[in-house]
Amino acid sequence: MQHENLTQELVERCLSRGAQSAEVFLDTRRNLSIEVRNGELETIQESSSHGVGFRVFRENKMGFSHSNDLSDASLDEAIRSAVDFAGHMTADEHNVLPDETGMTEVEGLFDPDLSGVDMDTKIALAREAEDLALSDARITKSGGAGYGESEVSVFLANSNGLAKNYRASGCSFGVSVVAEKGDQRSSGGESCSRRFFADLVSPEEVAEEAARSAYEMLDPQMVSTQRAPVIFDPDVARSLLGGILGAINGERVLQGASFLAGRVGEKVAVDNLTIIDDGTRSRGMASSPFDGEGVPTQRRTIIDAGVLRGFMYNTRVAARAGVESTGNASRGGFSSLPGIGPHAFYVEAGDMDPGDIIAATPNGLYLKSVTGYGINPVSGNFSGGAQGFWIENGRLAFPVKGLTIASTAEEMLNGIDMLGNDLDLNRTLTAPTFRIREMQIGGV
Amino acid sequence: MDVKGYFVSDIPRRTFLEKTMKGGLVVAAGPTLLSLLESCTPAGTAGAGVEMDPDLLNRIIARALSQGGEFAEVYGEHRISRSILMEESRFKSAEFGVSQGAGVRVISGDKTGYAYAEEITEEALMRAADVASTIARGSEVVEPVSVGAPSARETFGSVEVPLEQIADDRRLEVMERANQAALDYDSRIAMASVSYYDEIRARTLANSEGTYLSDSQPLLFFIVQALGVGNGTRHMGRERLSRHSGFEMFDEVTPEEVAETCARESIAMLEAKDAPAGRMDVVMQNGWGGVLVHEAVGHPLEADNIAREIGAFTGKMGQKVASDVFTMVDDGSIPNMRGTINWDDEGTQTRRNVLIENGVLQGYMTDILSAKQLGLERTGNGRRESFRYFPIPRMTNTFIDRGDSEPVDILASTRSGLYVQSLSGGSVNPITGEFNFTCREAYLIEDGRKTTPVKGATLVGNCMEVVSSVDAVGNDLAFGPGICGKGQAAEVSAGQPTVRIRGINVGGSRA
Repeated sequence: MQHENLTQELVERCLSRGAQSAEVFLDTRRNLSIEVRNGELETIQESSSHGVGFRVFRENKMGFSHSNDLSDASLDEAIRSAVDFAGHMTADEHNVLPDETGMTEVEGLFDPDLSGVDMDTKIALAREAEDLALSDARITKSGGAGYGESEVSVFLANSNGLAKNYRASGCSFGVSVVAEKGDQRSSGGESCSRRFFADLVSPEEVAEEAARSAYEMLDPQMVSTQRAPVIFDPDVARSLLGGILGAINGERVLQGASFLAGRVGEKVAVDNLTIIDDGTRSRGMASSPFDGEGVPTQRRTIIDAGVLRGFMYNTRVAARAGVESTGNASRGGFSSLPGIGPHAFYVEAGDMDPGDIIAATPNGLYLKSVTGYGINPVSGNFSGGAQGFWIENGRLAFPVKGLTIASTAEEMLNGIDMLGNDLDLNRTLTAPTFRIREMQIGGV
Repeated sequence: MDVKGYFVSDIPRRTFLEKTMKGGLVVAAGPTLLSLLESCTPAGTAGAGVEMDPDLLNRIIARALSQGGEFAEVYGEHRISRSILMEESRFKSAEFGVSQGAGVRVISGDKTGYAYAEEITEEALMRAADVASTIARGSEVVEPVSVGAPSARETFGSVEVPLEQIADDRRLEVMERANQAALDYDSRIAMASVSYYDEIRARTLANSEGTYLSDSQPLLFFIVQALGVGNGTRHMGRERLSRHSGFEMFDEVTPEEVAETCARESIAMLEAKDAPAGRMDVVMQNGWGGVLVHEAVGHPLEADNIAREIGAFTGKMGQKVASDVFTMVDDGSIPNMRGTINWDDEGTQTRRNVLIENGVLQGYMTDILSAKQLGLERTGNGRRESFRYFPIPRMTNTFIDRGDSEPVDILASTRSGLYVQSLSGGSVNPITGEFNFTCREAYLIEDGRKTTPVKGATLVGNCMEVVSSVDAVGNDLAFGPGICGKGQAAEVSAGQPTVRIRGINVGGSRA
């Protein structure tokens, strides 16, 4: 592999230009994006690109540069810039690179047949989803349908002898629609993303959900300001999990900027709550054999039956905390430094049927959409805009829009009293349907 | 896919770093410019930029239109960026990049084809032209107007101290000063984080209408965050400063001022109590609170969704949509502001566009495609994040125009409610007009006075209702800088004088 040799050569070149240790991250990508509206092709965008990022260390100081020109002269210039820039930084003994510890075997990351699927088939998939969604009489307009795909190959090498690569693919399609009734307008949409083209769900399934999510919110009503139980649809799991992710970022924890700092080993949530971070699942959209700096990915339990088990680290932050990297170095591509981020981050399934959770709620909110930032990872406060359905006598009675909900992470994590069995691991930041005993709801 | 949510953020640091690096087709500085690029002059002088051979441009445009289509364009870009992070009083990381590439766009009817090349060679650009042209296959072939020499255009900014004359030490110095000022502000400031970013973005644009332009614009972005710890709680304050200007920005607003504003918020909010929930009157302090109109009204007035007849303001031109005191403007020509651009990313001169005047809808923000579709003028709002994207209608500097009320009177005449001193950011569904935004610093209003600080609450509403509910507009117009996301990022400013909104739903945790 030509790129594999190149990354290792470039590591050597960094060392010969004044770096004491170095890492080279190279990726190549191919992207396709198609948009369709009212049956007509609206846009086609195609591109292929590549680039290389240099992370270099001098006297424990770190510099970084990146380049999309793989000619010798420009690579030299990039290395020189990184080495020079490093000289201005503050020395930190934790500025270290990982050793070679192998790769996690993850099946099904790359679909060899994806690029061979005919362009017309891809356009037809978006077109069909749109057509089917528009065939519902309650749907009045299309917000557009689309298909997208990408292939990426990652090559990584460092001066500790680490050298590895993998390739991955992804494809998705979806549609957004509008339902109108009098002066009312309600929008909805649905999409599906998979590693393999053949794994994509049918356009019927996507279209039906898109249409339903639009028309079911017509004729909303307002409710009074009150405290009531709130059932979280899997669509809004992110509003709970996002704030937890920020709070278990090992660097934020060391800085004291986390509501979970210092609480490992403590009970932070109800007994039935278990949260997993998994980078190893076969065909998983968030899976990879190694993280953004070459550390093998893992499947880790973050909260185990309510007890906080640990945080997420990359190599540098782990060194500072005196622990091992958890394989959570995240990287947006060749042009970004490794940060800290999750793989598939989800709440483990419970045993209740989602319908039974609704039936067990005499009065409350079934939450379908949350706007805002979710839980603040520093303070643990939660506030957001909310829409969904109001529950009366254990049944979804009418749609509600323009509400607010508020609570704290502490109250939410300790207030989960029902957990559904409907976990869908094709999503990457998700949970089954769950209920929080009581939250503040703002209405009229 | 969910309906695209459009958001503006005041930029958490991580996002900021990701944004600045996103899609960064970055090549090393200096010698990487290919021979085709006759010159790449650093910023500071108007008209300098990535100049490409007119004959080559004409050949690419002709190729792009060879299968049909009525419009073709070549957009070349070269960007040098520096990004430095200081956290916990340490210079943690420094990133340097030069990114370069060119995109070819073809418009045929309502259709757009786009492709880009990272290597600016004739071969690569011709390949991009071929890919982009496939969208127009079978339509009528139009003869392009040839380009000659780049034309001169007005510039909306001045540079006293060009970024390329600044040694890295001076960048580090302003960061150190901010860090120290934040820590010195109060012993309860446990940590500060200072992000510095600058770039010089050179653009060249040529199209089948005979337009040929070239320029370059510097950008500075400085963010200070401070963690306040005390009273059993924590609050991360934030303050930002950003302009298209030279390094003189730090003389006009010192790093210390930025840091102190940030630290003041961190300490003030340690005393915050639970916010109330439900519908109440809200007074928004002047400045970045303008993100309210950016979200609630600005996005729905972008002409792409109007042309598709799905936008919330579709068919409302000339109608009364807001209260009499409400006038809203988007102006990409205000000197040196973060949302300012000499000409938009498809060559249209930016200008002051009055969108809503005394409550009456007067205009939409267009790009070339939506202007054509709607039969409207081009307003200078066609923008793109980089050569990796084709332009779409975007805001620039968007604001509620100055009114005549005294800010103190607005507060004094509000019996009870919420005083919002600063916001984080928000988002809107441009089809339904439902928006939300999150308070960073807010206080209760009791008997016409600002009293207890309250924890960050979400405000929600509908764009049509909120603009009708603005009943007082102050005379103290001010702006704040942000990043706007709509599938691609754009630098924007949002502004407003102090305003009062009667009745908005507040998401507090207290009944």
